[in-house]
Amino acid sequence: MNVLAGTRRLARLAFRRERTIAPWWLLAVVGLGLAMVSYIDRNMPTPSVLATYAETINDNAFFRALGGGDSVIADRGFMTAWRSGGFLYLLTAIAALLAVVRYTRADEDMGRTELLRSGLVSRFAALTSALLVAATVSLVAGALTAVAQIGVGLAPVGSVAYGAAITAAGLVFGSIAAVAAQIGRNARTARAITLFALAIAYLLRYAGDASGQAWMTYISPMGWIHAVQPYRYDRWWMLAVIAGIVAVLLAIAYLLSNRRDLGEGLLPERRGRATAPHLRGPAGLSWRLHRGLFTKWAIGTGVFAIGAAGVGTIVPDIDALPPDSFGLLQQGFGGDGSAGDYVNFFLWAGILLFAHVISIYPVLMIARLRAEERSGRAELAAGTPMTRVRWAAGQLYVTALGTAALFALTGLVLGFCYGLFTAELPGPLGRVIVAALSCVPAAWLIAAVGFLAYALTPRYAVPISWAVWAWTAVLGKIAGPLYNVWGGTPLEPFHYLPNTLAGEPFSPSTILTTVVLAAVLVCAGLTALRHRDFGR
Amino acid sequence: MTDPVSVSGLVKTFGTTRALDGLDLSVKPGEVHGFLGPNGAGKSTTIRILLGLLHADAGTVRLLGGDPWRDATELHRRMAYVPGDVTLWPGLSGGEVIDLLLQVRGGRVNTSRRDELIERFDLDPRTKGRAYSKGNRQKVALIAALASDVELLILDEPTSGLDPLMEIVFREVVREEQEHNGRTVLLSSHILAEVEALCERVTIIRDGRTVDTGSLAEMRYLTRTSIRAELSGPVAGLADLEGVHDLRIDGGTGDDTVVNFDVDAAALGSALRFLDSQGVRALTSSPPTLEELFLRHYGGTTEAAR
Repeated sequence: MNVLAGTRRLARLAFRRERTIAPWWLLAVVGLGLAMVSYIDRNMPTPSVLATYAETINDNAFFRALGGGDSVIADRGFMTAWRSGGFLYLLTAIAALLAVVRYTRADEDMGRTELLRSGLVSRFAALTSALLVAATVSLVAGALTAVAQIGVGLAPVGSVAYGAAITAAGLVFGSIAAVAAQIGRNARTARAITLFALAIAYLLRYAGDASGQAWMTYISPMGWIHAVQPYRYDRWWMLAVIAGIVAVLLAIAYLLSNRRDLGEGLLPERRGRATAPHLRGPAGLSWRLHRGLFTKWAIGTGVFAIGAAGVGTIVPDIDALPPDSFGLLQQGFGGDGSAGDYVNFFLWAGILLFAHVISIYPVLMIARLRAEERSGRAELAAGTPMTRVRWAAGQLYVTALGTAALFALTGLVLGFCYGLFTAELPGPLGRVIVAALSCVPAAWLIAAVGFLAYALTPRYAVPISWAVWAWTAVLGKIAGPLYNVWGGTPLEPFHYLPNTLAGEPFSPSTILTTVVLAAVLVCAGLTALRHRDFGR
Repeated sequence: MTDPVSVSGLVKTFGTTRALDGLDLSVKPGEVHGFLGPNGAGKSTTIRILLGLLHADAGTVRLLGGDPWRDATELHRRMAYVPGDVTLWPGLSGGEVIDLLLQVRGGRVNTSRRDELIERFDLDPRTKGRAYSKGNRQKVALIAALASDVELLILDEPTSGLDPLMEIVFREVVREEQEHNGRTVLLSSHILAEVEALCERVTIIRDGRTVDTGSLAEMRYLTRTSIRAELSGPVAGLADLEGVHDLRIDGGTGDDTVVNFDVDAAALGSALRFLDSQGVRALTSSPPTLEELFLRHYGGTTEAAR
């Protein structure tokens, strides 16, 4: 049998399925790239302003390391790629790794591969077609970005190098996913392995660039990609190194897939405990099922809070920069727009940025209610005295506490690390924690709307709760400046929170109103859930 | 004592589909009641209404003397349920799921009973939900239900996916539950041999309606018995007897005649007397199997209904 028999058919099928997925990733990659160009053009319009920025950035290791490399130069193209690169590499890598797992291990989990393999389909066909999809998506992401960057007048050679680096990111992590799909026994494990590799690669690259310990950058796949340095060095040979590494990874993936049985992996399926004496109620079940999600969020939030505190050390230097946009920004977060002490406004902006991101956690938890019901697992529970209202209440309880815990963690880590890095502990620690906690009710409100949607129209619950989340994020104070609405709009709940960090008075009535509103929506949701048909 | 399950005139529509159309079902205390019907007849829908998961559009439903929609939490303390298609939480082991389902009932969990059932069903409780086969998932739900200290068990096709050995274990355990603990069981099933082995009474439904209900003995009485007889001489007049159907006469060896026919229960006596008068040499009579009962309700009529 031809070693690649059936690949063409499988690839056609995979591309067909990818039609509804890849376009969104491509849109995100190209759109974000262009958004950064216009951001640079708006805020650093003249070479002298650009030079001031470059100087300020070079003075702060935490900030400089965000975009990679050991220094920045005052060049429009370079600055664009420096700002957007990290995101675009990350997005392309995630798109590619998810595609590889989707058409290999996930299909195997579902039993689809078994069905196909009984026909004239080789054992390499699925892997090969998955890699073809991932490579195509990466290539198109790189090519579209290059074309777009040239289109807005950036250097063609640099733009092509930038696009090539983006493609390389997809190829590297697609290949890592190809190996992980052979190692893990299910799609979840394969994804977890690859995303973990991605996170480690990012952290190593950042730590290496920030600390000057270059070896950390050099052992990180993200480090290799950033080392291309488009618009400055355009290191083409770096791409050859990456191609070599990709070839090695692919060889390993093919070797492993040639040796393993269908459905098997190198990692044994982990065994669980034989009993669970403490698993005795809805909240206990919810925590047991979703503690992994919370743990990942807590780790992520903690790491990024440390990073934000580090980046924040640049704030005292901002006085050197032109005050226009910073004044507007400061006004947006409750200041009077004058130059001077930006720190409290920066920290508040940081907390609000975290607030929008952390609000994804309750959205995911509500989506899991729907998944539980749809899979039939909720029906197994509903046959016991843990009927749907109690079951949902357990999930809401864990969601509410988990959300509050993430905010508390953000405040604690951000406040503590900022104090530590600027050597003024406790500094603003207490005020940062209070400010972070003041965001909790607004995040609860987002969850409550999602829950009401779940209770009323379970089928549309997930899109509705994401839409609500996107609504608050887009109309909020953080995203507002991107489309020139400084200070956000009063159409989202975080808008009403006073900047207590900068001395505005704490507002119990805002907190109370939001909590009551969320409670009313939750009660309405529980009532609606009680009165609708339940189950698949 | 009221019937543990009592349903009459039950109607449930999904959009334009009428899933249940005046269904009746009553389960008596302490019996194992078979609930039969082809795919899509409305068995699972009925069970979900009994669990208070779906709201009945019309008709009355009583479960253990209560309203399953209103009193779900209270009623579920006194009953246990095994869904037809068991899905488990991928990250929870079978043992964890069993403990969870037992412990949410409150009260003390009979761990020796649980361990005994795990042993008898030969389940590895440490395997994670995502790694179980269909049969093993089914076992997890069955063990949790059978180890619960409850009055009523509602089992929706509980043995689908179990191997024949496990099916025997299942029958033994259900019989013990009924005999020693006086539990009532509502058993929806496709497997007629299982129903025949376990159930005293059955309800047969079709297209959301009850087409027959009663004890198997009663149902058999209402159904024809198949007779095969070898007679010493030619036979005449059998076809004219009241209650004899589908008569087939084959010439045997020599003068012998072999007759095959079905006879109504009421005419069995006169048919036997007639055969006796013809010099019967050998006789086999088979009571109608459940399969025949079942096919009588479906086979012809579903064809006709189309």
